[in-house]
Amino acid sequence: MRAETEKEKEQEKEQEQEKDTVTVHGGTPAPPDPAPVVEAPDSAATAGADRPHRRRAAVVVAVVALLTAAPLVLSPYPVSAMTRMLAFAVLVIGVDLLTGVTGLPSLGQAAYFGVGAYTAVLVGVHITPDAMVQALAGLVMGLVAAAVTGWVAVRARGIVFLMLTLAIGESVHQVADTWSAVGGSNGLAGMPPVTLFGGPALLAAGFVYWWVLVVAALVFAAVALVVRSPYGRTLRGIRDNEARMRALGYRPALARYGVFCLAGAVAGVGGALWAQQARFFSPGDMGFEVAALALLSVVIGGAGSLWGPCLGAALVLFVRDNLSASIGGHGPLVLGAVFVAVVFLMPRGLAGLTGGRLRELAGARRRKENSS
Amino acid sequence: MTPLLELRGLTRSYGSLTAVDGVDLTIPRGERHALIGPNGAGKSTLFATVAGTLRASGGSVLLSGQDITSLPEADRARRGMVRTYQHSSLFLDCSVLDNVALAVQRVHRVAHRFDRAARRFRHTEAEARRHLDSAGLSGRTGDKVSALSHGERRQLEVAMVLATEPSLVMFDEPTAGMSAAETERFVALMERLPEDLTVLIVEHDLDVVFRLADRVTVLHLGRVLASGPPAAIRTDEAVQRAYLGSARTEDLFAEAEAGIEAEAEAEAGTEAEAGTEAGTGGPR
Repeated sequence: MRAETEKEKEQEKEQEQEKDTVTVHGGTPAPPDPAPVVEAPDSAATAGADRPHRRRAAVVVAVVALLTAAPLVLSPYPVSAMTRMLAFAVLVIGVDLLTGVTGLPSLGQAAYFGVGAYTAVLVGVHITPDAMVQALAGLVMGLVAAAVTGWVAVRARGIVFLMLTLAIGESVHQVADTWSAVGGSNGLAGMPPVTLFGGPALLAAGFVYWWVLVVAALVFAAVALVVRSPYGRTLRGIRDNEARMRALGYRPALARYGVFCLAGAVAGVGGALWAQQARFFSPGDMGFEVAALALLSVVIGGAGSLWGPCLGAALVLFVRDNLSASIGGHGPLVLGAVFVAVVFLMPRGLAGLTGGRLRELAGARRRKENSS
Repeated sequence: MTPLLELRGLTRSYGSLTAVDGVDLTIPRGERHALIGPNGAGKSTLFATVAGTLRASGGSVLLSGQDITSLPEADRARRGMVRTYQHSSLFLDCSVLDNVALAVQRVHRVAHRFDRAARRFRHTEAEARRHLDSAGLSGRTGDKVSALSHGERRQLEVAMVLATEPSLVMFDEPTAGMSAAETERFVALMERLPEDLTVLIVEHDLDVVFRLADRVTVLHLGRVLASGPPAAIRTDEAVQRAYLGSARTEDLFAEAEAGIEAEAEAEAGTEAEAGTEAGTGGPR
């Protein structure tokens, strides 16, 4: 059932994009008109930039509408599964910010995810059931944890960075597993259902879903803004050529540390959302497997794109939690096969299937216009 | 007036080998200064030591009278001293505009802002486009750098370097690997550089050097052999012997003419130097 919506979503997106491709093709015969000949390349470029903008807005509205409507038509179980996917997608967005945008593949983000989740549960049990306070607390603690541990990690790059983040992840996992204050290996249970604005407890899966959806959308928008901002450009510069950045007068270590903290905060929010949905958190939810699946989601979705890894997150959790049961627990095998297929068939991941090709087409067309 | 760049006894050694040996050099503001020398003369090492990519083993580098010998590369760049690389060093997966904007946004101090989309920093964007315009790349702003030709990448490097608003630009063999047409376009671009910009250029193509440079320094075995205006360098006997007309260039070809070889052998001093020079060539 839920799988269907997921597929619907993808189909919707594909259809949108197909429509877009058609518009691109439809636009090609336009040059014979009198206008484009006189048109300066500048105005042609702005016209070209305007259209994808409107197109993208249409896709966003459609996806958000579909996601919002989901609890109205689905039963509670698929809705809570989608809630988990959204919370996991938040973690994946953070990993993508590190891996795809800055070029720092990380296996330690599950640690900050866990810190955020434990914070939310503890706040829920001891202080307040207010969902906003919990999410904010998760964000802050994720940020703090990343700030404390990150300065070690950001000194390294590539494989060494990967290993350092793995070490951080495993250490934090070990602490959670043995520290009695957070329930040790039993985890923390007994978190009351969350409330919003002092209202009644959000018991229905749909309400929790909507809350998580809103926060996930906010995080997505915030990270999208970071990626487009001058800081995002700095991060891409570090990914592509760090030595050149230094020659331009940058101090890349500072920017790397900043993004590490940012990704930690994002992971903390994801953890808080996860805990609010499950109302329980144990070390098993923040182990190596979670970190690896988050990285896998980024690869499957397409590092550097934002919506691709979100789709990847949904796919990965769907295979792990839902599909795995119906194929005799062989979910990891399917994930492995998907991973290999993605690496060989679509090096830019799910995002490369549409966005990249579309952009190529648009780029080729623009060049043609300019040269004529 | 204090010179823009001053080197005092700059030395850089690799173990027991001294690639740059006590180089003194003074470049006044606005000068186009070329650094030439046979292979293994230490040009690239000197270049990297001045830029801060390599640490100096001795001596000092002064920029506008201030000692910057101990500053790392990034801090030197912030003080207006930037370099290009022998092989284009760009951000291949970013757009052409992004490459230049990276330089501009550092100068405008907005490189770490994330409250707005980059294109809403209109001043920065306009400045980046202006630099692309003057480098002749305005038609390719949206393309990825990986789609550019070798010559276009060189043009982009110039745009990027100028976008940092430098006082001294150091070009490391900028026309290496360029076609004749690309070289011509590049030299024209260099000739259009602002008057007050100081340029230090390491170059193998002597036509380019003699066209662009106000003053030429010849490096040989890590030491300054001669320094002066191009006309004087052309006629300088020591330079002739070490570099321009002697066996040195012919050494590169296996089938050098026997007559020239005999001539070279006659010059015992040069020959002795050649022995050491073969060693200098190693670490480059």
